[in-house]
Amino acid sequence: MKISKQARREAKQVFRICLANGTLDPNRVRQVVQHIIVQKPRGYVGILSHFERLVILEEHRRTAKVESAVPLSPELQSTVQNSLERVYGNGLNISFSQNPSLIGGMRIQVGSDVYDGSVQARLNALQESF
Amino acid sequence: MSTLLQEIEAQIAGVKTSVAKQNVGTVREIGDGVAKIEGLTDVMLNEMIDFGNGIIGLALNLEETEVGAIILGDYTSIKEGQEVRTTGKLLQVPVGKGLLGRVVNSLGQPVDGKGPIKSDVSYPVEKIAPGIIKRKSVNQPVQTGIMAVDAMIPIGRGQRELIIGDRSTGKTTLGVDAMINQARINQAADAAGDKDTRRLYNIYVAIGQKQSNVARVVSVLEEAGAMPYTIVVVASASDSATNQYLAPFAGAAMGEWFMDNGMDALIIFDDLSKHATAYRQVSLVLKRPSGREAYPGDVFYLHSRLLERSARLGEKYGNGSLTALPIIETQLGDVSAYIPTNVISITDGQIYLETDLFYQGIRPAISVGLSVSRVGSAAQIKAMKQVAGRVKLELAQFRELAAFAQFGSDLDAKTQAQIERGKRIVEIFKQSQYKPIPIEVQVAVLWAGQNGYFDDIPVDRVKHAQAKMTDYLTNRKTDLMAKIAKEKALSDALTADLKAAVTEFKQTYK
Repeated sequence: MKISKQARREAKQVFRICLANGTLDPNRVRQVVQHIIVQKPRGYVGILSHFERLVILEEHRRTAKVESAVPLSPELQSTVQNSLERVYGNGLNISFSQNPSLIGGMRIQVGSDVYDGSVQARLNALQESF
Repeated sequence: MSTLLQEIEAQIAGVKTSVAKQNVGTVREIGDGVAKIEGLTDVMLNEMIDFGNGIIGLALNLEETEVGAIILGDYTSIKEGQEVRTTGKLLQVPVGKGLLGRVVNSLGQPVDGKGPIKSDVSYPVEKIAPGIIKRKSVNQPVQTGIMAVDAMIPIGRGQRELIIGDRSTGKTTLGVDAMINQARINQAADAAGDKDTRRLYNIYVAIGQKQSNVARVVSVLEEAGAMPYTIVVVASASDSATNQYLAPFAGAAMGEWFMDNGMDALIIFDDLSKHATAYRQVSLVLKRPSGREAYPGDVFYLHSRLLERSARLGEKYGNGSLTALPIIETQLGDVSAYIPTNVISITDGQIYLETDLFYQGIRPAISVGLSVSRVGSAAQIKAMKQVAGRVKLELAQFRELAAFAQFGSDLDAKTQAQIERGKRIVEIFKQSQYKPIPIEVQVAVLWAGQNGYFDDIPVDRVKHAQAKMTDYLTNRKTDLMAKIAKEKALSDALTADLKAAVTEFKQTYK
């Protein structure tokens, strides 16, 4: 579906309303979506779908994915969490998961930043250097 | 021993493997050599993006939620959802003398099958042109070896002279002739062990041309022995539009290396109309807003920033230069179309080639009235100024009188003489392709023409007489020719010698 420029602009405005101290406020998001659905302003489907995209991207930006080859101990998890919060601030959604294909080490992705300390990444880098 | 072991162990324990931060994104859309990427929050404009498997892209559009990138290389192997990385580097091409004699693509990779290129220096493809302080006005000539150009539309080192004309009017030939002449001068200087002569290196950039045309140009250059002084950059019609868009910038980077290192280079962009078309395609696929004739709004800036990179640097900055000869193809002689007017306004003059003249047998088909060189006359050698100072005006007058004489009215003797002289000058300026004429011969022949030595020869025999005279002067009067080439001016003594030589020739010529 083609979303008009006007709808994009309005979605952006709505998105800005939902921000509190630089982070997304879930309650406001719910309220705003309810409001738009009830009010049905001009091009509201476009506004909502673009708004959804903005929320997804914001969520993605505030999500930290920590992958490791073996399960991490609770101490290590809290160390990782603390150091990530030191860099990216509070309000990060951190998810821990296992990925045996890493062979060893850890791969952390926050938004589009990647810290790849896995054995697999080093092997790949080695392969590329030849 | 144990203390040493402890020391080492402590040191090793202190070493931590550092993990570098990377910025990644995900390919959302791919097609026509352009990818839309989500993520890449730290990407910079014009930065190289690593698509893996040795494929790189260039970030051209930074938008609110996504990045538009052009892909250099094979884009068919890239898939939606693939992860890409920023590199923090700008696109660079190898530069230096190792490229001379080679045919490369727009990334500086060899395509001539002569093995890898020896070069340890790279230059960014997009570079800001030298500023006002570094520049100097043009004062050294580029000898193109084409008499009509050297006499009437002189080109200086560091100038940008547009070659414009319809299809098949000899635009490429003009450029190739100029390259061959530089090779001839360089070879002569090399053979004489002359270190003072400033060599002029050639860069030929073929954009969107047929491979067969490029192969022909390369073989002509090879035959003339010009390849050792020439770099050929090819983005042919079958290359992607992104490569065609980058090729002239890559060529300019190679030329800038010569300029920055105190040398002179001549770059020929063949041709910029196709370059504009390639850029239009890239821009439209990137969904940039289109303007007149669907070209993007920055098509003027595209060419102005490219041509601005040719310059003459001052002595303090190495005294190098980069001369540009962009080529533009017009449709049915329409110079007022969008791209031609843009490039005409950017360059320091133009050489206009006309189809009519071409089919009348006046080759090179240079239209004297519409061709100008805005800065080159400062660079013309004195001898040429002495003999060619009035030629342009006389030819213009001849055109007018010839048109007038068509009405068949009787003409007075003076007008008749002017027309006859004009016809002979037109003949003298005719020149066959790939045969550049040395500047001293041009001066001598023009002097003879100006002083009426061809007036008693029938018009259809002028070319023959000129050839014989050139033969006579180069073989029998070698000293005189060398003197003219060295002194670069016609002193009274030299003029007397020249007069004697030409008179002697006239007595023997039948």
